[in-house]
Amino acid sequence: MVSPVRSICIVGGGTAGWLTAGIIAARHRAESGRGLQITLVESETIGIVGVGEGTWPTMRSTLKKIGISESDFFRQCNASFKQGAKFSRWVTGEESDFYYHPLMLPEGFPSLDLAPFWTKYSDEHGDAPSFSAAVCFQEAICELGLAPKMITSPEYAGVANYAYHLDAGKFAGFVRDHCVKNLGIRHIVDEVTQVVKNDRGDIDHVETSKSGPLHGDLFIDASGFRSLLLGETMGVPFVDRSNVLFIDRALAVQVPYGDQHSDIVPHTLSTAQKNGWIWDIGLQSRRGVGYVFSSNHTTTDAALAELRAYVGDAHRDLQPREIKIACGHRQTFWKGNCVAVGLAGGFLEPLEASALVLIELSADMISTMMPATRETMDIVARRFNQTTQYRWDRIIDFLKLHYILSQRTDSKFWIDNRDRTSIPESLKEQMELWRYRAPGDQDFTSNNEMFPAASYQYVLFGMGFRMDVSASPLERNSGSAQRAFTQNDALKVKWTKTLPKNRDLINKIKEFGLQKI
Amino acid sequence: MRLVELSRSEHAGLRIRADLVEASAASQHLIPIVASEFRKAATQYPIVFAKNPETGRFAPYVLNGLAVEENLFWSGTELDVAYVPLNVRRQPFYVGTNDAPQGAASNVLCIDMDSPCLDGSGAKTIVNPDGSDSNYLQEILSILGELVAGQKKTEQFIASLLDLDLLAPIVLDIVLDDGTPLQVQGLYGLDEEKFRQLAAGDISSLWTTGDLNLIYAVLIASGQIFKLIRMKNQRIALRRAWHSNES
Repeated sequence: MVSPVRSICIVGGGTAGWLTAGIIAARHRAESGRGLQITLVESETIGIVGVGEGTWPTMRSTLKKIGISESDFFRQCNASFKQGAKFSRWVTGEESDFYYHPLMLPEGFPSLDLAPFWTKYSDEHGDAPSFSAAVCFQEAICELGLAPKMITSPEYAGVANYAYHLDAGKFAGFVRDHCVKNLGIRHIVDEVTQVVKNDRGDIDHVETSKSGPLHGDLFIDASGFRSLLLGETMGVPFVDRSNVLFIDRALAVQVPYGDQHSDIVPHTLSTAQKNGWIWDIGLQSRRGVGYVFSSNHTTTDAALAELRAYVGDAHRDLQPREIKIACGHRQTFWKGNCVAVGLAGGFLEPLEASALVLIELSADMISTMMPATRETMDIVARRFNQTTQYRWDRIIDFLKLHYILSQRTDSKFWIDNRDRTSIPESLKEQMELWRYRAPGDQDFTSNNEMFPAASYQYVLFGMGFRMDVSASPLERNSGSAQRAFTQNDALKVKWTKTLPKNRDLINKIKEFGLQKI
Repeated sequence: MRLVELSRSEHAGLRIRADLVEASAASQHLIPIVASEFRKAATQYPIVFAKNPETGRFAPYVLNGLAVEENLFWSGTELDVAYVPLNVRRQPFYVGTNDAPQGAASNVLCIDMDSPCLDGSGAKTIVNPDGSDSNYLQEILSILGELVAGQKKTEQFIASLLDLDLLAPIVLDIVLDDGTPLQVQGLYGLDEEKFRQLAAGDISSLWTTGDLNLIYAVLIASGQIFKLIRMKNQRIALRRAWHSNES
């Protein structure tokens, strides 16, 4: 006898729960009555953590796929454009020290690799531009506070690649309304009082205070840090990764703008501090600012003083919220008929905005690999676990890369971060290879890679890493390299003249809307 | 451009050269039109849709050239075409809105004081010697009236096209007689495939609102693109002949 998978029960209604619901429903047509039945239960009393305020460019296709209008998204989620990250004071700690990790690939990449040409040029010239400025025009746009597109660009299309900054609380509500109204998802506001397993160890149903038992063939745990289903009920242990990434605390604060016409910075600012770094994200009505630090290296009071110095005297009355971060993830992510998304699966410091993208990728994988029967679910679960584990490892490698090249010596935090025992073997191997050639697609051969090779180039060379290119055969491509550098300069001139200011475009989108085509 | 509200007393002495009006379109490849012009426009130009650069919203235009700022109908002294759009003929007059502190905004007649049509040697005046509106001004007022009245209908038409998903980007991909490839981007046209697949109910409501006539005008006008290509090729041939005489 086969047991078909017909219904899904999602526990938790933050961004993880609602995005997952939307992504699965968009594919499996919950509203038609023939597809999967999706129920989402969320508590009225448990708030959402809502730390995910930065997305990847993937969010554009995710929103489009679930049928959301980009103009509505800007109107309702306090959203703004994000064109990558500017890392300040990560290398030497000096005031003038910064580099960009833009969202666009270097000119000509990957068929042409400009990294060795740039390295050779900057070896020979003291006044060479930074890597990101030499190979990509996005840094120039960001420095001028410009938007990545124009009012005549269609929804979700851009001149420059972009992602979003958003208000996570508003975003969860916005996706919820869309899911309930347009995607046929059953929404229950109630407390889950108990999770009941059946004889074979699967989850049979969850008990609620007012709505009775909620059954499901597949349960999705979006309960946040608590990991109510996967962790507490299924007993999947937590794997601590704080031996690699030391940050375990956040102090978050919302900073108002000087006035409603203040520029909105079109990228994430990440400014290194003594024992961690401060994120600074510009939304329409406020900035989200927070200090993530290592409690093994400093105290909350000392961190608070650094955060206050950053936001300035004008905001000394703001009361930051402290959040404990357990750095790591569950040992497996899908067990029996239960799979975790979002914080229930794990969490890392928000350095490269990996939280929301992991939700999108996990939900997408659950949706496309949706097992037809309980009998085939274990195969899907095994593959899901393998891929998800791979993704966590790659993110951890990439985040660690930001730390190991720092030259800061002003605290034990930075020195400990360069300790070889704290660096994963996989990253050490890559670093050996990259001494002589730049990161390329050959280093990242899985279908489930997280960061493209170009991202490693931006961080590597941004952090001041020097490659030995003396043995590289550069002559063959030097003509095309020269053309690519020239092309980038031309694009820089063109788009810095053409693109509107970030806030001006957002205001226009709210007033006129973007066209769908 | 310097728009001021037209005053019959203050501007009574203005002289306007109507023969210079068409020169304002000499380097316009797109000229906006309103719904009431579609039928006449379709006999002369392709009708396309493009986005307003300030708002991103769609509006209908007649296409006058195959490159940005090219008007193939401009002969050097006039627009050599049987129908000249209202938006050219109304020059140098505009309709402004008067944001009254109380009550609804009202339309006011404005004139562009920077327009080259304002010239002491001009034959047209806005008022007669007795102070009444001149025939010329009455004609201008009726043109502006048609534009204002047509604006709403035009916006409704665009909205119903978007509602039914009937607009799609068109890229004109043309190779001219001299071998130059030509691409005009940022233009949108009717998606004929989608139009053919519309449900009977949709067609019926398009018929009721009068939008169906406009759609057919656009479809028929699309063939005018061949006229533009021919005109462009003639220019190339002329230029070639010119250069070969030179050498």
